[in-house]
Amino acid sequence: MQYVCPTVLNLQKTDNIREFNKVPMFMKTAPEDIDPLKHPELAAIQSIIHDDDRPLGEQAQSLKDEGNEYFKERNYKKAIVSYTAGLQKKCSDCNVNAVLHTNRAAAHFHLGNMRSALNDAVAAKKFKPDHLKALIRGATCCLELKKYTDALQWCEEGLKLQPTDKKLLELRAAADKHKRVAERDARKAKVQEKKERSEREALLAAIKERGVKLRMPPPRPKRQSESEDGGYEGASKALAGLDLDGLCSTEATGARVFLGEQGIIYWPVLFLYPEHQQTDFISAFSESSSFLDHLSHMFGEELPPWDTDRKYSFKNLQVFFEDEERESLHQVNPETTLLKTLQHKRYFVKAGTPSFIILVKGSPFCKKFFSERKTYLL
Amino acid sequence: MLSDVTAEELMSFLNLDTRPDIKGQATEYILGLSGNRDGCRFLQTKPDLIKALVTLTTDPSIAIVKDCYHTLINLSADETMHRLLVKNPDFLPMLFKNILDPGYMFADRICTILTNLSRHMKTCKEVFKAMQEQGISLAQIVEIFCTEDYNKQASLHYLGPLLSNLTQLPETRQFILDKDRCVVQRLLPYTQYEASTIRRGGVIGTLRNCCFDHVHHEWLLGEAVDILPFLLLPLAGPEELSEEENEGLPVDLQYLPEDKKREEDPDIRKMLIETLILLTATKVGRQILKTKNVYAIMREFHNWEKEPHVVAACEKLIQALIGDEPEPGMENLLEVEIPNDVEVKLKDMEAKELEQLEKDKEDLLNPDKAQHCAGIVRMM
Repeated sequence: MQYVCPTVLNLQKTDNIREFNKVPMFMKTAPEDIDPLKHPELAAIQSIIHDDDRPLGEQAQSLKDEGNEYFKERNYKKAIVSYTAGLQKKCSDCNVNAVLHTNRAAAHFHLGNMRSALNDAVAAKKFKPDHLKALIRGATCCLELKKYTDALQWCEEGLKLQPTDKKLLELRAAADKHKRVAERDARKAKVQEKKERSEREALLAAIKERGVKLRMPPPRPKRQSESEDGGYEGASKALAGLDLDGLCSTEATGARVFLGEQGIIYWPVLFLYPEHQQTDFISAFSESSSFLDHLSHMFGEELPPWDTDRKYSFKNLQVFFEDEERESLHQVNPETTLLKTLQHKRYFVKAGTPSFIILVKGSPFCKKFFSERKTYLL
Repeated sequence: MLSDVTAEELMSFLNLDTRPDIKGQATEYILGLSGNRDGCRFLQTKPDLIKALVTLTTDPSIAIVKDCYHTLINLSADETMHRLLVKNPDFLPMLFKNILDPGYMFADRICTILTNLSRHMKTCKEVFKAMQEQGISLAQIVEIFCTEDYNKQASLHYLGPLLSNLTQLPETRQFILDKDRCVVQRLLPYTQYEASTIRRGGVIGTLRNCCFDHVHHEWLLGEAVDILPFLLLPLAGPEELSEEENEGLPVDLQYLPEDKKREEDPDIRKMLIETLILLTATKVGRQILKTKNVYAIMREFHNWEKEPHVVAACEKLIQALIGDEPEPGMENLLEVEIPNDVEVKLKDMEAKELEQLEKDKEDLLNPDKAQHCAGIVRMM
């Protein structure tokens, strides 16, 4: 495209400033896109830069300068475009290439593209291993990416070249500090984990000691088949993970069995009311409490709203547990403790949460319920 | 000893042109002589010997060069030989010429010789001067010391004690403690370098000597350097501390694993404690050490330590940490639980002994006295 003479200004026009702004030399900022029709002069200048036969090194330099201009205006995206174009010239000048990469790294950094920034810093280093700005940029990126050991490496290299560089000394101190804090955090986590593991083991030992049997959810394909020892191995894994909350999703309260003061185990317990399709969840049922202790509170003065027939008074209630394997129902005396009940030879704690069925004595539902399964009454 | 004639003959064999087998036997014999006192005395009377040995370090036979270096090591171990060695104009330059060469297989021997030579102040100064004349800077020495596998055939561990010896000179301390550079910070991690007691001891000796200068204490204990954890980690053990005690410690000392081992060399342990004692010389230093719960670490250490001279140093430190400073807010230290045996020992110290302690402290702080120097090394 031909170079065109600038428009002659008519100084009598009122919007002088706007006119000035149209002349490339007086432009304060470059327009986003240069429309050759609106800004023929700018387009012409740009074409000088871009479609030319100058040596590659020179072209790369110009593109670098262009990128720098955009960078100054904080137009990082455009800066990256220019720098990339400069790099694509693949000129043989290592210095220019190193600077292009370093500057592009800076632009990426300001856009928050840490990985791209780091890649550019690495590339810059390849072109010119003693390019201090590239080393500083590399260190800064690594610090942001929390790669503290790498950051220290970059700093060390930089300080070899410039032992008194303030920025490098600062970065090194920061990377070192963060690294040591991260190491402390890892150690602390390990200590916590160990503590939790030994608490879990104590809990499992206590459960086993009482002769309470655990049944875990079906094993996942990768794991081994259920262990012989009443599911304790699986239980340990389950207690470690979140398998214990593998109940109905509504009850995923995060409550777990735990060993409390004086060596008493507290269980999360479900009371099921199949007649009304309702459940109650007791988050910490002491093994030394009885069902009556809880039922007398829950069904004492106030009866639940779903009890439309007003018959669920604790005196009328019967407690049962289900033996899933044999599809049978066992009655439990409400005055017995939870512990005693769990020790029943056919009781298996499923998914870490003992559950019990509550029915109203002699009710029609109750009779129907019994008829559907083998029932062991007291 | 050898007769003069035989001695003459022996010396004549020590040159590059001699038949290799005879040359080899001669150097071997000289090495044997250098290994004992009388032999050394004898060799001292042969001024041309040093010259011959220096020349023979360029011999093509590795065995011969090795013997030469080992002989020089033995000679340098004898203080009375230092004058003679250093007087030879080619000796020190030859050593420094090769030390920076990453491919030089005898670099470790050079470091050992230099360590021996730098033990005492006078020759130390000459060594330093020669180093500078050869255009070698402390920066370069520290650089190669801290670069892993700089020399594939030499560990360069003896640069540690060399540095330690060189810190007798204020110029060295000044360089290491330069606030505008990163020198001392690079040495700190080596206080726990398991692979070499020499390197570890050398670095700790260096740090100890640097701590004689009170003016740097606040900077050393501050964030820019943070020397404290590196001094405490080798003294800290696997004993579990309460969460509260842990949170009060420097970050690097928190939640140490149960397989944490303490420094196994008692002399190094003592050096570490001495360095800590030096840091309690200023009020600021004492303050910082107290706030960072150094007492907890030393309490556990005291329970564990068996060597009496280390225990004594430990008690000195504890005394400085819980000493009677009538400062507001410090009264709570009286509530610190002091184990019974320590309490008894402390009570037993009479005022007279306390006075002696103060005097000792002053001596310790006097740079001309009791500077740590690396030990003498001998080779057979």
